Amino acid sequence: MRALHRSRPTIADGPGDASRTPPVPGTIGFVPPRYGEGVVGGAEAVLAEAAHGLADRGHTVEILTTCARDHYTWANEFPAGSSTDGKITVRRFPTQTDTPGRLRERIGGRILMGEQVSLTDQQLWINDSLRVSGLWHHVLDHGSRYRALIFAPYMFWTTFAVGQIVPGRTILMPCLHDEPTARLDIFRPLVGGARGIWFLTDPEAELARRLFEVPARSEVIGSGIDLPGSYRPDRFRQERGIDRPFVYYAGRREWGKGWSDLLAAFADLVRRHPTDLLLVTSGVGAVDAPPDIADRVIDLGFVSDEERNDAMAAAVAYVQPSVMESFSRTVLEAWSAGTAVVANAASAVVRWHVERSGAGLLYRSQAELTETLRFVADEPEAMAALARPGRAYVERHYQWPTVLDRMEATLDEWLPVAPAAADPGRVDDEAEAATAGSRGQVR
Amino acid sequence: MTNGTAMLMVTPYAPYRDGIAAYAVQEVRQLRADGQAVEVLSPLPSAAQQHLSLGGVRGMVALARRAGRHDRVVLQFSPEMLFGACHGPAERVAVWAALWLVAQRTKLEIRLHEIEYGPLERNPAERVMAARTLAAADAVTVHTQREVDQLTERIGLDAGVVSLIDHGASFVAATTMTRDEARTELGLDPAHHVFVAIGFLQEHKGYDLAVEAFGRAHLSGQASLHVVGSVRVDHPDLLAYARRLESMCRATPGTQLHRKFVSDEEFDLWIVAADTIVLPYREIWSSGVLERAKLYDRAVIAADVGGLGDQAVPGTLFFTDTESLVQALKERAQATAARLGDRSGPEVGQASSGSGGWLVDREAPQRDDIEAQIRGRVRSMYQVPAPGLDGVAADVDPATASALDALLALGVLRRPELVSARPGVSQIKRALRRLMNWELAPLVTRVEELQAATIEAVTALEAADRRRPDPPA
Repeated sequence: MRALHRSRPTIADGPGDASRTPPVPGTIGFVPPRYGEGVVGGAEAVLAEAAHGLADRGHTVEILTTCARDHYTWANEFPAGSSTDGKITVRRFPTQTDTPGRLRERIGGRILMGEQVSLTDQQLWINDSLRVSGLWHHVLDHGSRYRALIFAPYMFWTTFAVGQIVPGRTILMPCLHDEPTARLDIFRPLVGGARGIWFLTDPEAELARRLFEVPARSEVIGSGIDLPGSYRPDRFRQERGIDRPFVYYAGRREWGKGWSDLLAAFADLVRRHPTDLLLVTSGVGAVDAPPDIADRVIDLGFVSDEERNDAMAAAVAYVQPSVMESFSRTVLEAWSAGTAVVANAASAVVRWHVERSGAGLLYRSQAELTETLRFVADEPEAMAALARPGRAYVERHYQWPTVLDRMEATLDEWLPVAPAAADPGRVDDEAEAATAGSRGQVR
Repeated sequence: MTNGTAMLMVTPYAPYRDGIAAYAVQEVRQLRADGQAVEVLSPLPSAAQQHLSLGGVRGMVALARRAGRHDRVVLQFSPEMLFGACHGPAERVAVWAALWLVAQRTKLEIRLHEIEYGPLERNPAERVMAARTLAAADAVTVHTQREVDQLTERIGLDAGVVSLIDHGASFVAATTMTRDEARTELGLDPAHHVFVAIGFLQEHKGYDLAVEAFGRAHLSGQASLHVVGSVRVDHPDLLAYARRLESMCRATPGTQLHRKFVSDEEFDLWIVAADTIVLPYREIWSSGVLERAKLYDRAVIAADVGGLGDQAVPGTLFFTDTESLVQALKERAQATAARLGDRSGPEVGQASSGSGGWLVDREAPQRDDIEAQIRGRVRSMYQVPAPGLDGVAADVDPATASALDALLALGVLRRPELVSARPGVSQIKRALRRLMNWELAPLVTRVEELQAATIEAVTALEAADRRRPDPPA
C-alpha cells in the first residue's frame, strides 16, 4: 500500500463548483469529513487508504469531502472544486460554519452528562457544527449515479446528513466508540437505514448491536496497516536530539482522547520517582504540560508518517490512553514498529487487541498508569520482549490486500453490479444508468 | 445545468425530519433535476445554503431584504416557522406585513401547508393583513379544494388567487421492495392484514383512536396494527401521550407501538408492508403520509378531517367516530381474509370480488361486513362531515369519564422552569438545579414510573372490562 496523499493533487474542473461534472455511473464514493495533507484522524486515514486501494484495483473511485483540514475550526483551507489525486477524483465542497456553536456547546454538555435530550435538541446539536450544503446537494443530485457511498465516522455532519440521502447505496463505517453521543436517537436511522455496515473490530460490532438495530448486511472489515520496509529510530533520536528513553503518544491531545490522564500520570511518576523517562508526543491540540514537568514532555507537532513510524520504533512503549477507540490504528503501528503498548483497559477495542496479541500492558486507573509507566522506565528490556508478538499479530490480521478483498466481496454482495431490476437504490433513470455504466469497471 | 432563474425556497429542510422538510427536499431535487437554479433558506441551520432565524418580525424583515436578490421566492408556509417566536397579536400582524413586503420585492409563491384560523378570527387587523398579503403574492398554492374553500370563507380571499398543487408531485419512492419483502425485512406476519399508522407521536395524530378501535374490532389473530414513530420534542404532554399509547398497545392484542426514529427508507418500508394505512388524525390540513400511501398504491382509512377528503383517492374509507373506524378496520381486514381465501383454498375461499368490487363470501355472506362496505363507500363519495374530530374538543361526559381520564388529566410532574425575568435569578436557579439534581432526579424518575405504571394498570383493567361479555338481562 502506498503512503497517503502521495502526489500533489492536480486541479481538474478548477476551483469552485465541485459538482460541475457528474460522476461516472458506478463510481464508488468515499465521504470523509476531511482529506488531504496534514489531516489527522483515524477514520479519515482508513477511508483514504481504502479509496486508493480500490482505485489501484481498477474501480472508479471518488473522494467527496470538505475544504477543511482542521477539525477544530473547520476552516476552508483547501480550494473548492474537483481535482485528482493519483487515480482518484477528489471533490471538495466548502464548509459552512456560520453559527456561533453555543447550542452545540450547551446541548453537547447535557449529552456528555448522560442527560436525555429531545430529538429537536439532538438535531440542533448536530446542525450547529460544520455543514456542507454543496456536498449534500451534490449527493441529492447525483447520489444514484454512485454504486456505493462510504461514510465515516458516524458522528460528523457529513456522515449524519449526507449518509441518509441515498441509504440504499450507503455503506457506513461508523468507527463507533462507547460514548454518550452513540446513544442519540438521531443516529438510529443512519445506522439502521444504511445498505451495509463495515466495522473495524469485533468489539465495535458488538457495541453497535447493543445500541442499534444493525442491518443484517454488516461485516467486520478491519483496516490495513502499512508495514514500512525499515525503521530508523537512531536517525529520529539524532534529528530530534532525544537521547533518553521515552514513551510516545501520537494523536489528538484532547481530554476525550485520554491525553489529560496520561499527562497527569506521567507528572505523578516524575514527581514521585527518580526517572529519566520522557513523554514524547505528536499530533494536534494543546499539550498543556504542568510547568514542573514541561521539560520532560516533548511536542513534535505534526509529523510525517515516516517520522511517526521512526518515533514508534525508538520508543520504549507506545501509550494509548483513549477509551473511545473503534480501531486504534496507532497501537497496531506501534506493534508493527516492534514496540510494546501501554493501553487503557476501559477501551474494549484496545483491550481486545492487547489480549489477542499479548504485546502490551493494560491499566485500569490513573494510579495503575503511573505504575505501568514506572515499569516501562525500569524494565525497557522486558518491554522489548513483550512487544515481540505484536508485529506478527498485525501481519496476520491487518494487511490491506485482505481488507480490500473483504470490501470488494461485501460490495459485490450488497451492491452488486446487476440488472436494474435488482437495484436497491432510488428508482429513476440515473439508477439504471449507474448500473449499466458500472458493468465493465471492476478489475 | 441551470436556466438562470434564481429561486429561493424558504422552508424547514433536511436533515431535520418533519413533513414539510421532507416535502421540500423532494421538490428541490426535482427542480434541480429540471435545471432550475434554486437556493434554500431554512429557519435553522441545515443542509440549506442559507439560514435565517424566522418566527418573528425581525426574521421576516431580514427575509424581505434578501428576497430582492432572487427572481422568485417560494415560501413553504407553516405557522410554526413564521409565528413561532411572536410575542402577541401585534407582532403577528407585523410578520404578515413583512411578508407583504417580500411580495413587493419579488415574485412570491406562498405554499400553504397549514394556517391557524383562530388568531385570524380573533384579531381583525391580522385577518385584513393576512388577506392583503396573500392577495399580493404572485401565487398562493394549497393541496386540497377544502383549503381553497376555507381560505375563501374564513379570510375572505378571492378564490381566484388560490390554486391547487398536487401534494405528491415531486415524491419519489425510497424503496423498491415488494410487500412480502418489506414484511420479511420488518419481521411482520405475511398472513395478517397489516394496518400501519406512522408519524411523530402527537395527540392530534389520533393514534390512540386507532388502537382503541382495533381492540373493539376484535381483529387480533387475523390482523395487526403497527403504530410507528417517535416523540419529536421531550414535552411532558407528548411523553405522556407516548406512554399512554404504549400502555394501550400492551393492553390491546394485535397492536404494537414501534417507538423509533426511522430513516426515509424504513418509513417507506412500513408503507409498502402495509395492507392499509390508517390516518386517524384529529386535525390536519393535508398529509404527506397519505401521499406516500398513494405512491405505493396502498389502501387508506382516514379521519374525515381537514383536506384529506380532497387529497385521498377514490376507495379511501373515511371515518367520523370510533364506531365508524371500527367498521372500517373490519372491512379492510375482511378484504385480506378474502384475498387469502382466494389463494389458499376452500376453507375461506368463498369470498370473491365481482365486477362491482365488493368483497363478499357468497356462500356465507356477513351482513356486518357488507354494510360496512356500503357505509364506507357512502362516506367516501359524500364525505360526511366529522363533528368532534376536527380539532374541536368534545365535552367530557362525567357519567362516562373513566379512571384513566382522571389519571391522564393529572399530566406529568413538571419541574420548575429555570428562567426568571429578574436579573441573575435564572443563573441561581440553574446552579441550584445542578447542586440538587443528584438527589431530585431519581425522585422525579420514580414519580414518572409510578404514574406510568398506574396508567398501564388502569388501561389494562379497563380493556379487560370492555372485553367482558355483557351480563344477561
